[in-house]
Amino acid sequence: MGYSEYLAAREFLINNGQPIIAYILLIALLQGLFAVLYLITKKDDKYTYFKKFIYINTFLYLIGFIFLIWFHVQIYNNVLIEYPSYLKPMIPVDSSHFSIPLWIESEKLYFWAMAASFFLLAIRNKKEIASFTGFIISIFSTIVYFFSNPFKEPLPVVHSEIIRWYSALGQGDGSIYQIAGTLYGRITYYYNSTYMWTHPPMLFIAYASLIITFAACVYMLIRHDGDDDETAYRYARPGYILLTTGMLIGYPWAIEAWKDSSWWWDPKISGSIMMWVLYSAYLHARIYVSRGKLRRTTAVLGIICFVSLVFTYLLTYLVPGIHSVVQP
Amino acid sequence: MKLKNYDYYLIIMTAVILFAIGLVSLYGITYYNYLAVNPEWTRTNQYSQFIEDMNSYLYPLLVLLLICLGLCIPKRLFEQNILIKFSAMALIFTFILTLELGIETGLGFLLAIMIGLQIIVLILTFKKSKVIRFEKEGYFTRLGSSILHLGLIILIFNFVTLRENPFHISIFWIGMLLVTAGNILSFYPVKMVSLLGNK
Repeated sequence: MGYSEYLAAREFLINNGQPIIAYILLIALLQGLFAVLYLITKKDDKYTYFKKFIYINTFLYLIGFIFLIWFHVQIYNNVLIEYPSYLKPMIPVDSSHFSIPLWIESEKLYFWAMAASFFLLAIRNKKEIASFTGFIISIFSTIVYFFSNPFKEPLPVVHSEIIRWYSALGQGDGSIYQIAGTLYGRITYYYNSTYMWTHPPMLFIAYASLIITFAACVYMLIRHDGDDDETAYRYARPGYILLTTGMLIGYPWAIEAWKDSSWWWDPKISGSIMMWVLYSAYLHARIYVSRGKLRRTTAVLGIICFVSLVFTYLLTYLVPGIHSVVQP
Repeated sequence: MKLKNYDYYLIIMTAVILFAIGLVSLYGITYYNYLAVNPEWTRTNQYSQFIEDMNSYLYPLLVLLLICLGLCIPKRLFEQNILIKFSAMALIFTFILTLELGIETGLGFLLAIMIGLQIIVLILTFKKSKVIRFEKEGYFTRLGSSILHLGLIILIFNFVTLRENPFHISIFWIGMLLVTAGNILSFYPVKMVSLLGNK
């Protein structure tokens, strides 16, 4: 148990995960191609191939996810942060383990895409909507490969924190006070926090479900078919439940972890409020859909909701704030 | 106005207010980004001014939303003419309190009334009272809707008036559980029926 075992596990993940993500990209491209072919030709054989690719890719995502779980277990088992006794006055514990959640850094988009693939498997008898969603997920998988590949450089921030810790321990200079304080805070209030294990996955699963709502709303506008509206609603329900509960869970976490920081009306929080009120407006307006009214309006609203969802997700990378990776 | 149309416009109005809150949030994102040119701005008075400004834009919309809910929740209990008089009274009191003691007190008063009303609605719904009227059919849908509205009002009340209260987080969890349970019950009433073996 130790640092070298951690490095070996990281190397193992890179070597074995890279082929998996490459296959995911390949199959995703085929999935996207056959989705488009089906949407153009409406031939069932195209859809059959498309469906097979969906099954293969979901399976590959799952295999990759198992590798990620294994890597996280290795971090937990091999990286033990033992605080030297002279840090006792500022660190209330002797040591910390990393219980890293499976939806941080470059893994979050992977998790979202995997959840979306699982939701896609659940779509029955809605070939156009399934194909359109499949096409969106194939774009998603491409983005994962090129911009958020969890196997190319696994958990870069965690890795740099671990390296910095061991290097500060070796140097034995005054920098260890600041590094230990920051690391203890990160481990306690971020990585190992119960909220981190509940708040983000609920949101990502919600987002995955709401992709199908978006696809169905687009079809609702194209075909004016009440069935499409029903499909949109069917996937909006679990999405909204998880979105609401997931967002709310973030509130006590923010109070606990950011008590000394400025977080209220942070762009990501504003974006989340915007997204939530828009989805509430969508579901509220849908009360009248059963009477044949407002179908098109709610479909437009459903599309706006999804645009706000993507916008809210991207805010982390676009606008500075407490949730963001960009600095002013 | 016929009750059917009244319900329809109420729903549209609620959706429009929610949309407006979305626009306020969008403005908040843009303005935050503009202010963040100075990396230290959250440590200055600018940040507290920003929070104050944003809250001042949000609160009137919350009042409007609550009035909509105020027209929506008691409509399940009262006839339309009584309802309008009731809402007008509540609005006047809220307005007076806002002028005298500030918007948070006014809003808190309105929220406290809503919580009281929603608890009555919930009890009557639970008892399957015939007095109460709903837009949607089905016992669990109605129960879910009542629980969901109560949870939301408790959450807003807690946030607006009880931020410094030692029970703030406990009340938050109660509100959150009600919202989650309400959502599940109103979205999956059939599954709840089969799960609980009730109608």
